[in-house]
Amino acid sequence: MTEYSRMVKGNFTATSAQQIITLPFQPDYVEIWNYSIIKTAATHSVTRAWWDGKLNDGSNNPTMIELYSAATTSTVFDTIQTNGISTFAGAQMLQYGALYQHTGSTDFSISKASPAVVTTTTNHNLQTGDVVIFSNLAQTSTTGMQQIAEIPFMITRTGATTFTINWNTNQSNYTAFNTATSTNNVGSYKKVLYPYLYLPTVSVISAITTGSTTTISTTAQHQLHVGQEVGFRIPSQWGTTQLNELPNSVTPGSPIYGYVVSITDLQNFVVNINSSAYTAFISNQTFAGTAGRTFAQVVPVGDVNSGGTSITVGSQLYPPPAWSYAVQDDSSTINGPAIRGAFVNNTSQGFVIGNGVAAVDGTATMIASTNIVYWHAYLHDLGQP
Amino acid sequence: MRQAEDIILRDYIVSAASQLNAGGGSNGDNPTNLGITDFSLVATTLDTNNAYKFMSGIEGMDRFGTGPVRSAYFMLSSTELQTDFDGLTGSGFLSQWNYPTNASALPAEYGSVFNIRILTSSEAPVARGASMLGNDVYYNTVVGKQAVTHINQDGYSMNLIYRDPYYSGMLAQNATLAVKFAQAQAITQDTAIRNLLSTRLSSLGV
Repeated sequence: MTEYSRMVKGNFTATSAQQIITLPFQPDYVEIWNYSIIKTAATHSVTRAWWDGKLNDGSNNPTMIELYSAATTSTVFDTIQTNGISTFAGAQMLQYGALYQHTGSTDFSISKASPAVVTTTTNHNLQTGDVVIFSNLAQTSTTGMQQIAEIPFMITRTGATTFTINWNTNQSNYTAFNTATSTNNVGSYKKVLYPYLYLPTVSVISAITTGSTTTISTTAQHQLHVGQEVGFRIPSQWGTTQLNELPNSVTPGSPIYGYVVSITDLQNFVVNINSSAYTAFISNQTFAGTAGRTFAQVVPVGDVNSGGTSITVGSQLYPPPAWSYAVQDDSSTINGPAIRGAFVNNTSQGFVIGNGVAAVDGTATMIASTNIVYWHAYLHDLGQP
Repeated sequence: MRQAEDIILRDYIVSAASQLNAGGGSNGDNPTNLGITDFSLVATTLDTNNAYKFMSGIEGMDRFGTGPVRSAYFMLSSTELQTDFDGLTGSGFLSQWNYPTNASALPAEYGSVFNIRILTSSEAPVARGASMLGNDVYYNTVVGKQAVTHINQDGYSMNLIYRDPYYSGMLAQNATLAVKFAQAQAITQDTAIRNLLSTRLSSLGV
């Protein structure tokens, strides 16, 4: 071990069969110990696992494991060949997962509903909070849901083969979409692997409720906090252009801003703008004319983004750096920074404990919900033999 | 050495700056490929928002094949769009070598369209396969002078670190060359920056 090697350890209580560990580096060797199984033996349960980056030949990335298989009297060795331990680098631009599209065994449909329901023919393997984008949602050359292609959507998981997206497709200009019956079976979606590189981000607006205050609904997580200042970019075909920061048609050159006064949930928040007399928001966009259409957006502005510090103890104004993921449990990032006026750098790297099953055992995963797990990760100096 | 800073700032702008989908192109995608009207629209948007231009104009000279250059904002684009820019020659695109003088042109400057001077880089943001039709989406960042800054924290300015091979062992196998810095990004004037999203008309030919 020389001075440039890095090593780090930690522990967690699992909430599912998969866990992401963020680190300041990408390790080349990882060990995990499942304390719960070591303490209390259980069949088809992994006691420890270890992974060496040198085993990854580009197409195979196996993880070695020791487990109780069909009996708890002794452990055996096995491997996880797919979805074992792997590293990730959630930085440097938008990265995507595999396309889900029409094949011999897979198709998906999007219903006319609010929220729209996506139904897949096989397990979509998505969790609430994941972000997807769609492409080629043309049922025919003139019908379908191309209006929502290219938009990043946070999904809400409703089942192994169903999830919803925050958009009202139950409107006259939308036609139910299905890759099994679309012309040439076009249509696909893919997961955005690291959708929130910096926080808060620009968000696409899916709905606006006008009134004495204004409620904004976004397609992905808005990542805003009470007290933050926001501006709007609403092209004319979306209706509520009076909210636009600039141009201000009443007072030229005078930007209009709103302040977030409450957070309803991850995709809804309220700003202090009285929009009672404003034009209604139009999400019933036409299929024709989709090419070149800019989406309605809300952007964080001003000096009070996530990098603010509280005015007084307990104040919700100028909140400290934090971000939310699948639930609204703000947690600090590993990156900071914590200065006023700055955005939170949410880029990350580290390793993933995947939910793949043991190759021979056929059942066991490395971890399961409530397991107490200890891990070590290393990045070694030159490792040539 | 400053490439890491640039990449951090690039990803930050992709995340935080508002977007304008190109609609002036002809490929029928969303966004479309860049058309001349897109340059005009984004420049007008920044003008209306009272953004400051980066560069003064270049006065016309009596030289064959050259033309005057307007005062301009900068746009950072991908090198993969250079063929598309060439295709706009005659419609408004002025190649850098057709400037009356190259004295103020930057090494990465490919040309200009109306009030926008275009810098190209292979590190420019691209979202692969993200368009309405599943094509690559390019983030062409158009900035006014007051739009973006970065803040060095705690006076922690950039350090170049070099440790010679002997530092890590008598076999002298490892040397370290690294740069260390702590900074935060900020959009100082959000109305003076736009990500002009586009797809591509030409093939990459690779």
